[in-house]
Amino acid sequence: MIRFLIKRTAQAAVVLLLVSVIVFVLLHQLPGGPARAILGPKATPQAVEHFNHQQGYDRSLPLQYVQYLGRLLTGDLGESYKLNQTVSSLLSDRLPKTLVLTGLAIALAAVLAIPLGILQAVRRGRAADYLLTGLAFLAYATPVFFLGLVLILVFSQRLQLFPAEAPQADTVGGILGDLPGLVLPVVTMALGVIAAFSRYMRSAVLDNLGEEYVRTARAKGQSSARIMARHVLRNALIPLATLLGLYLPTLFSGALVVESMFNYPGMGLLFWNAAQGSDFPVLLGVTLVVGVATVIGSLITDIAYAVLDPRIRSVS
Amino acid sequence: MTDPTASTGSLLLRVDDLHVEIAGRDRTVHALDGVSLDLAPGEALGIVGESGCGKTMTALSVLGLLPGGGRITGGSIDFGGTDLATAVEPVLRGVRGNSIGMVFQDPLTSLNPTMTIGAQVAEPLLLHKGLGKAEAWQRAEEMLRLVGLPTPGERLKNYPHQLSGGMRQRVAIAMALICEPQLLIADEPTTALDVTTQAQILELIDDLRSRLGMALILVTHDLGVIARRVDRVAVMYAGKTVERAGVRTLFAAPRHRYTQALFAALPERAADESQPLATIPGLPPSLVTRPAGCRFAPRCGFATGECRETEPALSEVVPPLPAASRNGDSAPAPGPRTAPHGPATGDTPEGRAGAARRGAHAFACFHPVDPAVDPIAEVVPAAPAAPPSRADETLLALTDVTKDYPLHSNPFALRGRSAAAVVSAVAGVSLTVRRGETFGIVGESGCGKSTLGRLVVGMEEPTRGTVRFADRDIAALDRRALRAHRREVQLMFQDSYASMDPRMRVGAILREPLVIQGIGDRAGQNARIAGLLDDVGLPRGAVDRYPHEFSGGQRQRLGLARALALSPSLVVADEPVSALDVSVQAQILNLMRDLQREKGLAYLFISHDLAVVRHLADTVGVMYLGKLVETGPAASVFDAPLHPYTRGLLDTAEQPDPAAEAAGAPLGGETPSAAHPPSGCRFRTRCPAAQEICARIEPAPAEPAAPGHRVACHFPLVAAAGR
Repeated sequence: MIRFLIKRTAQAAVVLLLVSVIVFVLLHQLPGGPARAILGPKATPQAVEHFNHQQGYDRSLPLQYVQYLGRLLTGDLGESYKLNQTVSSLLSDRLPKTLVLTGLAIALAAVLAIPLGILQAVRRGRAADYLLTGLAFLAYATPVFFLGLVLILVFSQRLQLFPAEAPQADTVGGILGDLPGLVLPVVTMALGVIAAFSRYMRSAVLDNLGEEYVRTARAKGQSSARIMARHVLRNALIPLATLLGLYLPTLFSGALVVESMFNYPGMGLLFWNAAQGSDFPVLLGVTLVVGVATVIGSLITDIAYAVLDPRIRSVS
Repeated sequence: MTDPTASTGSLLLRVDDLHVEIAGRDRTVHALDGVSLDLAPGEALGIVGESGCGKTMTALSVLGLLPGGGRITGGSIDFGGTDLATAVEPVLRGVRGNSIGMVFQDPLTSLNPTMTIGAQVAEPLLLHKGLGKAEAWQRAEEMLRLVGLPTPGERLKNYPHQLSGGMRQRVAIAMALICEPQLLIADEPTTALDVTTQAQILELIDDLRSRLGMALILVTHDLGVIARRVDRVAVMYAGKTVERAGVRTLFAAPRHRYTQALFAALPERAADESQPLATIPGLPPSLVTRPAGCRFAPRCGFATGECRETEPALSEVVPPLPAASRNGDSAPAPGPRTAPHGPATGDTPEGRAGAARRGAHAFACFHPVDPAVDPIAEVVPAAPAAPPSRADETLLALTDVTKDYPLHSNPFALRGRSAAAVVSAVAGVSLTVRRGETFGIVGESGCGKSTLGRLVVGMEEPTRGTVRFADRDIAALDRRALRAHRREVQLMFQDSYASMDPRMRVGAILREPLVIQGIGDRAGQNARIAGLLDDVGLPRGAVDRYPHEFSGGQRQRLGLARALALSPSLVVADEPVSALDVSVQAQILNLMRDLQREKGLAYLFISHDLAVVRHLADTVGVMYLGKLVETGPAASVFDAPLHPYTRGLLDTAEQPDPAAEAAGAPLGGETPSAAHPPSGCRFRTRCPAAQEICARIEPAPAEPAAPGHRVACHFPLVAAAGR
């Protein structure tokens, strides 16, 4: 198990290195280079040259990459052109808030989708199954921005149950202290995930209920409920682990829409504003973080697999 | 049919006129339509029949474990005074795993892959006996020791995938027996296992049954499995019990025409290897409708108008005693030997009233077999066999062929660095196949016989050694020549359905090889396809149908037709009949033999089934762990084996004969991993004759007994071979 984790982590490090190369290349593919982006189209060639020399952009690409990598390792992601702050301090301020949002959305999705999927599988072909299937497709097909607007209209404007704006506190603790404000953004993010997860859970449970080990468990005298809890659940969660890893980066990107819609001070909103103002170091910093999230997502999948499925553990 | 005493008396289980329906999406299958059987405490009952006859459904209904849509629509299942047919779920749960244990066919899928062995074996104790976890695990460990699992304490923490198939089945048995049930139901418990493992598992069940004094229902399609393991047998056909008798009576003198035909189709019972096997024409009826009359009538050579209109009732033979003695063979009178009570009871030892009645021979047939006449000879008249035409020309020659597979696939590993970690699936095999002969390859799973088949066809390239076909080295062929070579060698698979594109019609499937090889125009191809269908005995109209519309036997005919499409001179048949029922198996074996004589085909016939190979093969090769340990003419190899492994395999195979002597020395142990084969002779770890030299020096092939009969052994059984 330990060896397995070390191996997977080493592989993740390789992938992250590749991500850094891509981000570095992107940084240098900007039209006219970063100098033009900052100094504007009217800057003189001398000013551009001076800027490039000052920033080290006139050295050879491999050398620049090594220096970039060196700075990356010390946590230096450059400085925002607009906000007068280092990118790393911006990210360390915003990332935890986005993690809170996505974490809550995933937790909500898991808590609801797993029982819903089991319920549908057990009641396969009956009214509850059809109803939930219909709702799942509806939720899955609705774009996040539209869903958010509908939720704001109904629950904030009409019913006035929850505020339309997300918590604005500076700290994570402050954000968590304002739970009513979190409800609409979290639900907006989670609904599509619940739909997808519950569909997967339904088919995974159905597959497993048809397995012969379930018949063996029945032949031992085990009750249906305990067969579900003791035997089927763990086996059915294995495919869900894949989905979770795949969804993590998607959720990070989804945060962009939700955060800007609810004015939530997370990384998505930061990215949105940076994109508006061509604040490239910030954009690339966020891109790097999403890349890291993708890699971590698949690492989590692998670990979850190994925890759930003893066959994977012994192969690796 | 109803018991006049009406009480359960000394019976443990009594199933009376059981009816089960399984409702599907658009049709209802009458899976069981009048099944009656009974069982005394400690007694062993075998239920035999072909696939779809309802034997598994009978077993499942006893535990209330019918599949979705299934329900009991009539009859009763009396178990110790409780009617399980009408019992509610909580009552059934109290019986399952507690007083009735069940073992299923496939030990791989019937265990939970993500739960430890200990947790699974201990589970029934927690449920039924109210034990704490620690105590339950301790009992589980004892039980695992009882079923012969080495180091049971460590195994408790293992997961199923860490055990071999035989060990998993031992675990499944431990699980079923942990609460010491009064009845064990074993549904095809050894069908997924190798011959030697099968013998060990059956022996274990036998042993535990006498030790724990429990009754047994052994459900199987294999007459060999029940012959020496049960007291009485119930034969099922199309959802009904058609015959019931003590095991010796049934095997010596079956009365129902179906039972008789089933026995006649066994390759072991074939009078003469040169004769075709007796077959049962047609297929079992669909159980969607409930056919009138005797359900076997459409396939029975003795059926009359009465059989097609009136259903024969299951009735007992009036004078039970003279039946077997008239038969002239050594079968004992049915009285004492078939007394249904095992050692556990003994309340009515050979009591005439109870035991004789229950042990009596009952069958449902208007025109039963007359035991005075030899039952086998009168089934289907055998066509006179044409003498085999066999040239001495060598068609296929393998010289020291080895196939290595890397053990770990690691994309980052440097080529050659991990060369040490390989499995030699085939390790230095040499053999020759002559034109027109059948070369049988026998061996247990993992011995490399399928890999050998793929090497011959050219689907794999040998790591070392040469494969020469018609005097040309296959490895030296260029692409064009290789394509031409493929015409000459074709494959026939075990699972024809899986090997055909389910969305292609039969016509397209048979046409494809012709198109690839550019043979004939469209009209010519159509004529060829029609001819192929004629050859394998399928209607020409089959071209417009899809593979799923055919039965298993018909699909195997299709597989043969496809293999023959290019008129090959060699067909590699990899377990072509092992998925088929006995009666259908006989049809396919006869067909293969007929076509061989007609077309001068050679077969490389790969099988684990000794009886089938013995029936069909001229020459036999026995494989063990990638090595060919013995080759020779079929008669010499089977009648006077030289290698201890061959001897062991023959001793271990279950003979469909209850009077057969207990096997001399059945093989113990399990095949070692091919990744770490034993040094020297690979068989030495299981060999009774192994000595120190066997571990040091690999035995070279020699012909100690007769020319052409080669064996690779330091201590061949030459004396035993009749010198």
